Amino acid sequence: MKKQTMFLRMITASLLRRRSRMLVALLAIAVGATILSGLVTIYYDVPRQMGEQFRSYGANMIFTSSDSGKLTKSAIDKAVGSIKSSRVVGVAPYRYESVTVFERPVMAAGTDFEGVQKTSPYWRISGEWPSANGQALVGKETAETLALKAGDTVTLVYDLEGLPATADEASGGERKQNTRDFTVAGVLDTGGNEEKYIFISIGDMDALTGKSDVYDMAELSVSAAQDQLKSYVSTISAKVDGLSARMVKRVTQSENTVLSKLQALVLLVTVVVLLLTMICVATTMMAVVTERRREVGLRKALGASNRSIIYEFMGEGLLLGGIGGLIGSVCGFIFAQAVSMNVFNSSIQFHWLLIPVTILVSVLVTGLSCLLPVRSATEVDPALVLKGE
Amino acid sequence: MFFRMIKGALFRQKSKMIMIAVTIALGASLATAMLNIMLDVGDKVNQELKAYGANITVVPKESSVLNDLYALDEGEDASAHLKEEDLGKIKTIFWGFNIIDFSPFISTTVTAADGEAVKLNGAWFNHHLSLNTGEELDAGIHSLRSWWDVRSGQWIDEQKDGNENAVMVGAVYAERHRLATGDTITVSTANGSKALTVTGIFDAGGDEDEQLFTTVGNVQALSNNAGLIDSIEVSAITTPDNELARKAATKGPASLSPADYETWYCTAYVSSICYQIQEAIPDSVASPVRQVAESEGNILDKTQLLMVLITILSLFGSALGISNLVTASVMERSNEIGLLKAIGARDYSISGIVLTEIIITAIVGGVAGYFMGYGFAQIIGQTVFNASIEMKPMVIPLVAVLIVIVTLAGSIPAIRMLLRLRPAEVLHGR
Repeated sequence: MKKQTMFLRMITASLLRRRSRMLVALLAIAVGATILSGLVTIYYDVPRQMGEQFRSYGANMIFTSSDSGKLTKSAIDKAVGSIKSSRVVGVAPYRYESVTVFERPVMAAGTDFEGVQKTSPYWRISGEWPSANGQALVGKETAETLALKAGDTVTLVYDLEGLPATADEASGGERKQNTRDFTVAGVLDTGGNEEKYIFISIGDMDALTGKSDVYDMAELSVSAAQDQLKSYVSTISAKVDGLSARMVKRVTQSENTVLSKLQALVLLVTVVVLLLTMICVATTMMAVVTERRREVGLRKALGASNRSIIYEFMGEGLLLGGIGGLIGSVCGFIFAQAVSMNVFNSSIQFHWLLIPVTILVSVLVTGLSCLLPVRSATEVDPALVLKGE
Repeated sequence: MFFRMIKGALFRQKSKMIMIAVTIALGASLATAMLNIMLDVGDKVNQELKAYGANITVVPKESSVLNDLYALDEGEDASAHLKEEDLGKIKTIFWGFNIIDFSPFISTTVTAADGEAVKLNGAWFNHHLSLNTGEELDAGIHSLRSWWDVRSGQWIDEQKDGNENAVMVGAVYAERHRLATGDTITVSTANGSKALTVTGIFDAGGDEDEQLFTTVGNVQALSNNAGLIDSIEVSAITTPDNELARKAATKGPASLSPADYETWYCTAYVSSICYQIQEAIPDSVASPVRQVAESEGNILDKTQLLMVLITILSLFGSALGISNLVTASVMERSNEIGLLKAIGARDYSISGIVLTEIIITAIVGGVAGYFMGYGFAQIIGQTVFNASIEMKPMVIPLVAVLIVIVTLAGSIPAIRMLLRLRPAEVLHGR
């Protein structure tokens, strides 16, 4: 009991009396631990955060009907339900119908605009996204052809019995038609095929065609790696009748390539930085301990055993390592959080396990870097050490 | 005397000085590697993002106008075309060096032997271009469609003889018609027919799975469009859009002031590259593929910012590491400094000696560290991107300044503290 109290007193006294030098050592350890916990947190969180950024490439999974029929809302919901809801970024069902505008055939698509904004974040709208029924989004190409701009009114005509085959048929005879007026909320610029379409809400489409709950396809943006997507695709195709799920290869394959490179980059950088930081911490600790060779010699001359000297120095080192590790893991978390907020505008997921790991690593590194100089000091004859040779 | 003292200190305290030099070298190598990677990561990631395919499409100017004016359906003869001979001009634009791949496309509907209509596309696969600038380039969809999974057979190799009548078949079409590599399919149009040999079956995960791809020449012959093409897909390395680029894109380059116009034209924005392509290729409209162009910029920005922050952390870490060690090693020399003071040395000459020693060590360590950092950067570049990291010359002064500041910042406070001590006390060992 007494021995332990003495041990603690010696450690705390040496830490307190040699304050400035111990602060130097503590600072080195804390910085090392900060880098460790900060970079490892970032490394673990980068795939998730970056994966979300990659969703700006748009849908990576599509649902189509497996038997060339139509999809129903319940089938789509059921299929979406089998994907973990936190991973689903957005779902946009589509229904395509041919309509005529000024007797000219145009493709109209009924969709859910809130879903589209999530699945196709790259759509550039001049004007506004449609927010109420009776509003339409017109593709740039169609808008140029029909001379439409935001704020104009466009009349969509839907032939209930299909489009007339010939011009004669169109002009002669009564056709059963549904007609609805839409306000052009915005003009869509994508650089792709979407520029040829007119987009309206599903509700408007149902009203225009007189049919509801028929969908041609649904686009999904799922925040998951390729393997995970593959397993979703096979479960959904097996579980939901009449619906087949497919991956959008262009998006998933490329995302896989780029994301794995990025992850490898962060991993390598982390490893290199950690390695060098650890060495820096170790050399600082070694310098701090080497300085105390005289103390070691004096103690040996007073009759202390090598073992007790090593224990005491290790005790000091471990205490420093523990405190430094604790400070470092907190600072590391703050750093990782700051990076995440700056880069991705979202908060980081903290792994609690990282705190004990950081403390353990810093204790190990400091312990090892104390051990080497202390051992070499204890091996030397105290007389020589004290004489200063 | 000054030099003898320094020489003596450097050589007699060899192990201690080596330790300081090693730490400085480590810090410097970390700074060098991270700065170089940070400066080069944009280019490297940009190259990787090319996996998403073309970010610019070029179509003839009149295509939509003609179709609309005469209400023609998508008949091959009526729509406007671009000229195949103009293709090389893409590489002659101001930012030609940033254009890393492109391919012409032409398509026609053909009838297969069983009477079913199928879309036949003509494109370059790995077309070899020798430009009059002396640049050699293999362009085509082999790299533009990097996500295609060629299930059996292989890509058409245009550079080998005997592949003129080769065709690649989409997986869905091949499965429906039980086609395998080596089979011959005969396709015909009003302009004649051709027997094509299947060299590869691909899975593209999209509409292309139901289509056929062959060389441009075959489709031109079948559609009677000698020397003409429908569209061009271009893959270019671009700079993420900023305020200026957005202004130019929405209001047109004519709205910019002359100075802004110059900046815009001479920056590799997707809009300025499009504009330059339009200048180079007569009667063309080049437009960015938003899905690719916009996302690229987004991801590039994020990656760069991430690397900048990691670099700052590691610079901070190596700076503290170095200055800590320097402080520790200076404080260790309290005896020596006390002795020097006791025999009458002036404060400034003591500081001069200690600082010179440390700066010499720092220079040695810094030079070694720069080359170590070079090695680290190359290891990372080769492992991750299979390409070497370009070493920017501006990193050298940055690292040098960093090390000098850090060593001075680490040693000066310690020296000042030691000078304040009274020699008798220090020598006495308190």
